[in-house]
Amino acid sequence: MGEAALVSGPPVVRAAGMWKRYRGRPAVRGVDLRVERGELHGLIGADGAGKSSLLEAIAGVLSFEGGVLEVLGVRIDSEASAERVKGRIGFMPQGLGLNLYPELSVEENVDFFARLRLVPAAALAARKERLLAMTRLAPFRRRPMKHLSGGMKQKLGLICTLVHEPELLVLDEPTTGVDPVSRRDFWAILSELLRSGGLTALISTAYLDEASRFHRVSLLHEGRCVASGDPTEVRRLVPGAAVSVEAEPQADAFAALKAAFPQVEALGGTLRVFVEAATPEEATARVRSALARTPPRRVAADEPDLEDAFVALLRREGARVEAGPPVAVGAPAAPGGGDAIEADGLTRDFGAFRAVDQVTFRVRPGEIFGLLGANGAGKTTVIKMLTGLLRPSAGRGRVAGVDMARSDRAVKRRIGYMSQAFSLYTDLTVAENVSLYAGIYGLGRAAARERADALLAMAGLARHRDARTASLPMGMRQRLALGCALVHRPEVVFLDEPTSGVDPLGRRRFWDILFELARRERVAVLVTTHSMTEAERCDRLALMFAGRIVSDAPPAVLKRDVERDAGRLLEVVADDPAGAVERLRRDGLGDPVLFGRRIHVLSPEPERDASRIRKSLAAAGIACRGIEPVPLSMEDVFIYRVRALEEREAWRAGGRS
Amino acid sequence: MNLVRVAALARKEWREIVRDRKLFGLAFVLPAMLMLVFAYGSGQSLEHVPLAVVDHDRTDTSRRFAERFGNTVYFDLAGYVDSEREAAARLARGDVRVVVVVPEEFERRLVAGRSAAIQTWIDGSFSNSTPPRTLQGYVEAITAAATAELQAGAVARRLGVSVERALTLLNPIRVEVRYLYNPQLRTVWSVGPSMLMFILMFVAPLLMALGVVREKESGSILNVHSSTVTRAEFLVGKLLPNVAIGCANTVLLWLLAVGWFGAPFHGSLLLFAAASLLYVIATPGIGLVISLLVDSQTTAMIISVVVATLVGSQYSGMYIPVESLSGPGWLIAHVFPAMYFNDLVQGVFLKGMGAAELWRELCALALFAAAFPGLAWLLFHKRRRA
Repeated sequence: MGEAALVSGPPVVRAAGMWKRYRGRPAVRGVDLRVERGELHGLIGADGAGKSSLLEAIAGVLSFEGGVLEVLGVRIDSEASAERVKGRIGFMPQGLGLNLYPELSVEENVDFFARLRLVPAAALAARKERLLAMTRLAPFRRRPMKHLSGGMKQKLGLICTLVHEPELLVLDEPTTGVDPVSRRDFWAILSELLRSGGLTALISTAYLDEASRFHRVSLLHEGRCVASGDPTEVRRLVPGAAVSVEAEPQADAFAALKAAFPQVEALGGTLRVFVEAATPEEATARVRSALARTPPRRVAADEPDLEDAFVALLRREGARVEAGPPVAVGAPAAPGGGDAIEADGLTRDFGAFRAVDQVTFRVRPGEIFGLLGANGAGKTTVIKMLTGLLRPSAGRGRVAGVDMARSDRAVKRRIGYMSQAFSLYTDLTVAENVSLYAGIYGLGRAAARERADALLAMAGLARHRDARTASLPMGMRQRLALGCALVHRPEVVFLDEPTSGVDPLGRRRFWDILFELARRERVAVLVTTHSMTEAERCDRLALMFAGRIVSDAPPAVLKRDVERDAGRLLEVVADDPAGAVERLRRDGLGDPVLFGRRIHVLSPEPERDASRIRKSLAAAGIACRGIEPVPLSMEDVFIYRVRALEEREAWRAGGRS
Repeated sequence: MNLVRVAALARKEWREIVRDRKLFGLAFVLPAMLMLVFAYGSGQSLEHVPLAVVDHDRTDTSRRFAERFGNTVYFDLAGYVDSEREAAARLARGDVRVVVVVPEEFERRLVAGRSAAIQTWIDGSFSNSTPPRTLQGYVEAITAAATAELQAGAVARRLGVSVERALTLLNPIRVEVRYLYNPQLRTVWSVGPSMLMFILMFVAPLLMALGVVREKESGSILNVHSSTVTRAEFLVGKLLPNVAIGCANTVLLWLLAVGWFGAPFHGSLLLFAAASLLYVIATPGIGLVISLLVDSQTTAMIISVVVATLVGSQYSGMYIPVESLSGPGWLIAHVFPAMYFNDLVQGVFLKGMGAAELWRELCALALFAAAFPGLAWLLFHKRRRA
């Protein structure tokens, strides 16, 4: 299928200078886009970047004001012209399974879509079986859609979109909120479908780390296309090197680096600097010289990733990564030095369903602790139990030294909580929101004013204090919500999926604040996320799956453990990657996975396996362009741990019967 | 129009309504429940109203006068009260609804051939003016009867004729009223057919509007937008199950009105069936139009309920005859099918009218059955602007 994308011919989608406004507010601002036949094209951007508007316009369900759009050779400029290509397009709108019918069973959903698309009965029967088997949904065909898990809904949505065998598949954020295992399944299914030919897919995602899944990507930011091309090409648009350093005290080193370089981020105990237009040696030297006062323990240069390039491109466009001055916003260090959060066998049942199962962990003051897992893994339930919003069915949670089951108001004053929904009053101004929370926590008038000034400075919102919250972009709202959660100087802060849907710049700004809060004020931070890149920024990470903690360690240790158990990750570049995957699988070379045009294989013995891979591909007549070890991603770790757990369960169940 | 696609849409819609508890209740439980509640509620006539008497006279005549009230079905004598102040308190508490004050020297004045004033207080705090007016009528009638008896006695004594003869002499002209179509003025009889009109007007647009807006909210409407289903196919597919539900409800409500409440049905069943079919196409049509103008289920619900309640009760001729409406009210009554259907069912049920008399109403209903879905077709677009 790699070849298919290279075949020249008229593009499947061609957009030139497209504009879309909603009541005068532009959502798409002059986007050019080209999707070639047979291509897996990714549209990557944050909430509000214009992805959905673009995809809906291409699917013919949204009109636009300016520019030219051609889909499958038809110029789309009216409702009538859009109708002409709809038979050849499959469109899945945003929102996991939201376009499906909850009361209908899996099979009834598929049948409905097929009849709507006039699929002949015989063809439908064959296609349905094939797709249900491929997605492993066949055993659940009679189950009402409302009782499916997130991953299953996503796959059913895919089947329903594919059942009329469209030429162009348009999927709007199909992987948002899906657990990593299901996500990997999804990409595998999609690769297989594309391989059988005739299909072109245009898929949007908010996760930058999914970029490597595509043949080509277009990066969107605030309605504009910032870059477009092969993920590797895009990454190389901004030459430079990424340097990882460990230095103590970390906060001082962080401040020194921020003063010297525009792109610095804290990943747990490591600081990562992107040095533009520098070789690895130059970059290392420049970082060392910037850290003259806090000599680094370890310095290592490696290849920059796509996010480094994306942020650099955004900076070129004039966006600033604001470096707010460190402000004392947190609480005094907790006395005694005990753990800030202790969860002991926390369990919660909802009827027969166990949402959280025996969850145990500790968080120290000044530590950023991450709970990583898909929607429904139990992350929010854990937070609710620890903040006293929900009683545990069993187990105990202590926060700031107090049992949360007997929580009283005094305890609640020592914790801050920022929910997924941000709980801001969007009709109030920025300053009014802060003073409202100050009032709720009983701050005096003078104290509240002083506090509001400090928090707004920290959040970079001082210039927006009289702006209506509703008018703020996502990233600013998030920082305001964090400010409100910190208004009473809590010792422990709980953040429930704080940065989902925020662009990379906004996310960096947010995490900078968390870092300052943890390192300088010794505030314990518990954050839940389902973004793998975000997880890397935590000091320690607990992987949650089906209500249980699968693994709990610093991100680097988690990766090292998997490498110890399962080996290194090899990236194979070969012509005809899909054929190569099949060949390698047949020859028993691990479990190869396709990432765009590259293949990833976990190998316990890298040297020996590399030569075996070469031999296997040569025998199949597939040219191998290169094999090299690459670092494991957090997703690899998660999937490995969950699979191991499932196998153990299966083995145990088998042993008992 | 491709029937496979229409059938696919209709079948899906039907399954959702039947399986979703809220929609099922709205479609199949609410109509019958409304019929029972309204029919029993409006069937109650004003009887056994508690009444107190302040008797300042305390004579045989005053006692007999007071007892006249207790001896009717309209009032229950809740007792004698010593003072106006106490009577006012009981009225305020709602213990009694009517107070009759008999003045001092009541008997003496009557015997002396002079007139005596009976003060009557009626609780005016009902939400509409009908019950107090009715109560006033009761009190006046009972007092008039007492007066007539007194007069007759006096005349009989003076002329030396019998009391009956004296009564005839005193009332030479007598009013004789016969209520046509509903001789015993049984509310249920005339309410039953009107309820049919009202309930279908209430439920059908609501169910239909929720059916479309629900899909707008979830995003599943995009399945239709992004496919080759035509606008007409979508609207017909959505409408069909709702028309079927409307038909089922018409049968059920007819059975309740005629079978349970004993309302008479004198007219043509065929005419009634034809009119009902048009009505159960037109009413969901209103829901379709609403659903295309709003984006949230809450808004759709509020608009449907407000429109249906106002049009169904105030502008349909159910309570107020449409002829007495003027200007905008008259117009509202004429741009909705409710009034025409109400006239038609009243005619068919109670007056035994046929197509010869009711063809205008039938034509109007046919027009509405085409107009509302047609308007929806014009409003519906598969490529939205925002």
